Amino acid sequence: MQVQEILNMLFEPYIFIPLVFPGLIAAFIVLLIIIWLERKIAAKVQLRYGPLYIIKPLGGVIQTVADLIRYLFQEPIIPKDVDKLAFLLTPVFLFGLAYLPVVVIPIGPSYYAFRSDLSLLIALALTTLAPIFTVLMGWASNNKFSLIGSVREGYLVISYEIPIFLSALSMAILYGTLDLVEIAEAQRGIWGIFLNPVAAVNMLVLMYMSTSKFPFEIPEAESEIVAGPYTEYGGILYGLVMGASYVKLYVLSLVYSILFLGGWNPLPQSMIGNPFISGSVLFIKSFILVAFGAFLRAVYPRFRIDQAVGLGWRISLPLSLISIFISLLLVMGGVRFVY
Amino acid sequence: MSIDRTVRHVKAIITGTKYLFSGPRMTIMYPEDIEELPEGYRGMIEYDWNSCIKCSLCAMICPADAIKMYVSKEESEKEKKIVKRPGINYARCIFCGFCVDICPTNSLTFSKVHDMAYYTYEEHFYPPDKFAEGIKHVHKGRRVRVILDEKRGIKYEPVD
Repeated sequence: MQVQEILNMLFEPYIFIPLVFPGLIAAFIVLLIIIWLERKIAAKVQLRYGPLYIIKPLGGVIQTVADLIRYLFQEPIIPKDVDKLAFLLTPVFLFGLAYLPVVVIPIGPSYYAFRSDLSLLIALALTTLAPIFTVLMGWASNNKFSLIGSVREGYLVISYEIPIFLSALSMAILYGTLDLVEIAEAQRGIWGIFLNPVAAVNMLVLMYMSTSKFPFEIPEAESEIVAGPYTEYGGILYGLVMGASYVKLYVLSLVYSILFLGGWNPLPQSMIGNPFISGSVLFIKSFILVAFGAFLRAVYPRFRIDQAVGLGWRISLPLSLISIFISLLLVMGGVRFVY
Repeated sequence: MSIDRTVRHVKAIITGTKYLFSGPRMTIMYPEDIEELPEGYRGMIEYDWNSCIKCSLCAMICPADAIKMYVSKEESEKEKKIVKRPGINYARCIFCGFCVDICPTNSLTFSKVHDMAYYTYEEHFYPPDKFAEGIKHVHKGRRVRVILDEKRGIKYEPVD
């Protein structure tokens, strides 16, 4: 009887969404698969095999599990001169804040943990908190590479944060709402990416920039500053800080899928009520976006810091203003959404 | 200017996608597939006990001091004089092939084995009796031949 009660409680949306899907457990599985996939895709593009020998028929898919076990049993080394409290707590906060926005993400028109008129704003605002901890991490580590890496992160933050907000809000202007459920429902006919492609492309690029995916992998430039802010970390703490950027990308991809790729649309009316089917559609869309971010690693070299900041201010900011203009034109031209 | 750049970005991503789905793989799966080596490959050295005339030219020519003459106790007692035979230290050997070239009776020859990894330093030493036993760790994998291909770049063909 009690098992039944616990199961029922688990499937309540306010527990199921943050904890299981698309929250912590799903994010964890995405993390394990995407790190393997990133190595595998880069290997295929560079004419190699990548991780292969752990379960060979599946192409070494549990390589990351082996890595995780290694991280877990490794001694966490705390250097003598670090600020201990900040050093130990920042990875936890970073990871927690990276996946926290998932609370406001709906996986069906009637299945959400927390519905608010401002859920898009809440999700975006929570993602902007993480860079503060990256900067704090660099300061607490008391290491020149960490400090340089976190200052680079600071440079990037000021160049991507404004355009990413403007691109997302241009869609809010278009749909006339900030509620993610209503935004997804509004795209039952035509998706946001076709209505405002400028905002879509702009936000896609900035999304990869905000999680330091490859062309913008400037804060942790491995060939220049060891591992950037994460230089002093080892063991499971390194696992947390490294996972945080992937989880942030996953969460931003969920928001992006709802904003531009129609959320759980297109689904027939009979299936849309089932949160598992609609959630899976949303999940697949965002997973493809994360996988594309992993694929970019194989294509691009790293930008210089001035190129990335220039891209943010000289190209992305005007593009986001243009996308707001497009949205305003569409709204004034009579595009209306019925909820 | 920026349109040109955008086009180049798109081209880069298309090229990457092309390689992702159709590119060849250059990796040779080593312990399973073994590359067929050419004639005259300079691998680990084999020593023929019987044809050796103990001239010690190999030890003299060796530029890395890898080959050294060891006193063979049994033969010394039997022949009532000091008899020396060559032994090799693979920690020093540079595979230059001088010893093979200078050997007057061809009792030193090259094999095609190049797997030279040992757990301890002492295992690198091959005194004369061990040297004469030959090379035992030969992998039994599929033999493949490297072929340069116009379209795929490189490919491997099994040798029968």
